[in-house]
Amino acid sequence: MGILVARRLLQSVVVILGVTLISFIALHAGGDPTYLFVSERATTEEIALVRQALGFDRPLHVQYLSFVADLARGDFGTSLSYRQPALDIVLAAFPATIELAVFAFAIAIVVAIPLGVVAALNRGTAVDGSITMLGLLGQSIPNFWMGIMLILFFGLNLRWFPISGHVPFLVPLLNGDLATALGNLPRTLYFLVMPGVAVATYSLARNTRLVRSSMLEVLGQDYVRTARAKGLSEQVVVVHHALRNAWLPVVTMIGLEFGFLLGGVVVTETVFSYPGIGRLLFNAINQRDIPVVQAGVILLAGNFILLNTAVDLVYARLDPRVSLTRGRR
Amino acid sequence: MKLRYLAALAAGLAIVGAAVMMIRTGPRAASTIVVGLSADVATFEPANISSRDNMNIAHHIFASLFTLDMDGQHRPNLARELAISEDGLAYTYTLREGLTCHDGEALTAEDVAYTFARIANPANKFTGNAPGFVFSSIGFRSAEALDPQRVRITIAQKHPIAFGLLTEISIHCKDSYERMSPDQAATSPIGSGPYRLASWSRGAEVVLEKAGESAVAFDRIVWRIIPEASTRAAELMAGNVDIIANVAPDQVAAINQSGVAAVQSVTSTRRMFIGFNQAEQFGKTPGGRAIRDPRVRRALQYAVDVPTICRQLLQVECQRATGLVNAVNANKALSPYPFEPATAERLLDEAGWPRVDGKMRFALTLQAGRGRYLNDVNVVQAIGQYLRDAGVDVTVELLDWASVFQPLLRTRTAGPLFFMGTGGGLWSPIYDMNDLARVDSGTNYPNWSDPRWFSRWDALTDAATPDDTRRIVDEMLQVFYDDGPWLHLYFQPDFYGVSSRVEWKARPDERIYAFDARPKG
Repeated sequence: MGILVARRLLQSVVVILGVTLISFIALHAGGDPTYLFVSERATTEEIALVRQALGFDRPLHVQYLSFVADLARGDFGTSLSYRQPALDIVLAAFPATIELAVFAFAIAIVVAIPLGVVAALNRGTAVDGSITMLGLLGQSIPNFWMGIMLILFFGLNLRWFPISGHVPFLVPLLNGDLATALGNLPRTLYFLVMPGVAVATYSLARNTRLVRSSMLEVLGQDYVRTARAKGLSEQVVVVHHALRNAWLPVVTMIGLEFGFLLGGVVVTETVFSYPGIGRLLFNAINQRDIPVVQAGVILLAGNFILLNTAVDLVYARLDPRVSLTRGRR
Repeated sequence: MKLRYLAALAAGLAIVGAAVMMIRTGPRAASTIVVGLSADVATFEPANISSRDNMNIAHHIFASLFTLDMDGQHRPNLARELAISEDGLAYTYTLREGLTCHDGEALTAEDVAYTFARIANPANKFTGNAPGFVFSSIGFRSAEALDPQRVRITIAQKHPIAFGLLTEISIHCKDSYERMSPDQAATSPIGSGPYRLASWSRGAEVVLEKAGESAVAFDRIVWRIIPEASTRAAELMAGNVDIIANVAPDQVAAINQSGVAAVQSVTSTRRMFIGFNQAEQFGKTPGGRAIRDPRVRRALQYAVDVPTICRQLLQVECQRATGLVNAVNANKALSPYPFEPATAERLLDEAGWPRVDGKMRFALTLQAGRGRYLNDVNVVQAIGQYLRDAGVDVTVELLDWASVFQPLLRTRTAGPLFFMGTGGGLWSPIYDMNDLARVDSGTNYPNWSDPRWFSRWDALTDAATPDDTRRIVDEMLQVFYDDGPWLHLYFQPDFYGVSSRVEWKARPDERIYAFDARPKG
């Protein structure tokens, strides 16, 4: 396990350097970002002064190397828009996204597994058909449309849930203010319902279909038949023999999915005015706030690597045939 | 068994429902007004603010020496009077008595002088509207406190609208700002306006609370950042927000029918136009050469039906602009160009650009940023089609605003045709004309260089009387109308949604002043 973690750490350095280089090139490909930071009536001389103040007058490779050198010292730079440390800004937005991702993730797992199992156990019946159809529908609906529909129906017409906004739970918790965190928790969950459902719909549908197909494959295996022949109850057969083995592809998928949820909820965060990292990065890209984009990208890439490593470890735990150092035996 | 599951499900739903009822917030306090904005706040450092949304909030925290009212008139604010020296270089303001900063200190002339000196100090590397536009436009030289009540601002050369530009400076307080780090200045403003910052949750909301004994109707203003137009509209109709900006035209009817809010439409001071870029690089193509000819530019004015564009695409009736100044300050002798396709075709023929084989005359690219202005994509497509109908082979290029189109504008290489809108004002025609103050102005996006326009600026600066100023302005506007570098379009309509619980009137200058709002009843 130690070797795996060391190898992943080494890979992560290469990956992070790669993503910073790609995002750096992409952000500069659109031209000189200076223009976003000057008045629309600024003269050429004033623009030149601002360009110098922001450091964009230096050659691109010098700017990049300077950024990497600062990064090695733990300095992610200062946001061009907010004039504050870029990492602080990204870290401030991260807890809200974690709350949304965990909430959506929970919906996508907790609901998908029983639905998938029920569909598999009732293969070919109306129950299976309905669940499969709902799964198809869930994967077909764009999440921004889903979000707007939820807002119009549950937010505006029924007034059951808040239309937009966020109540923090993790921030007070991380600040050691447990009382505030717990006091906020019911409202945090209340505000998370609609964006959480909008984000989770696609994953829920996909996971349901994945669990169903995985279960169908496992239910046809000899050892399941043997278990049934031994006279074990259906519950034991399904939970202890079939589901445990059906888990493997699901675990791989959901592990990666959490990484996507952390960085890929831009549209939902925008629709629900949710102050998370997706919206922050979207705005930063539009504003060409390069330090914030870089800090956000590094954070997300680091998380993705971390999750991937965690998935590998869990996978090995679930399937003893998998070796962490030599691949599958 | 099934009954047991159903009972458990029903119980679960009942518990969730009860929890939701308990968590749901009640109506907010009557003393709070909530405003929904589309863009986030970047900073509260007044010298670094350059966006209108950011400035709108900052204006509640920082007062200015004079202020601009809804009709474009300047009114005393922190200052009670102003004396301008005969040579037009020294502006002496006398402050009102009893002013205080949010830190409790008295606000004196020393604070005002400090504000100006701080903005002008190059070591601070400020990049906002104040140093980047106001100070450079007026040639700011110095600021000194003559006594506790009087401060003198000196500029390098006489400037016809220096007084108006100086009102854009947000006054802050010396004692506090001398102690602040740049981080603190960006996040913890100490102002001089009617409200102080209570909290700022980046990307979510800014909460202001009444400062001292300010004569304002609401004790708290909550500015909520709601980027998505349909979400803003939903929040307004749900009664959670009192004022929203940038209502999409397709949501106007729904809001008006909601019974809890109504949309106010106002013709803004933002001037929308198609620029004819006459940069050297475009002169190499037939189309680029064609639009250097004023006769061609004049011909194309007749080719576009602007009132129909307003009616069909912007959902408002509008009158076409006659130039680059707002209607109230326009040359009254000028009439908007009518839509006369036959005249356009005839003038293009006469200018030496007949249709080749009965088809197109020349080709041009029309560039525009996407999503910046009201319904801009459809407007640009429509204009492209009108010009094609007149025989100009127009290719419409819709570009990302921030990363592609804006850099092209700023390097004055957009086009050769480009669609844009530029902010203006009601208080002086010269403010609007200032975009083209010099051939090398950063805002001379079309690279225009007509000497009949640019040579008159000195005379305008030295005009002795308001009548002289008006005469010169009218002469210049006539040149611009006949041979200018803009295809005149319209002044952008702005839509604001306003809850029926508040009285508030939308302004034409894109400023949202919640301190103008009053609770109804």
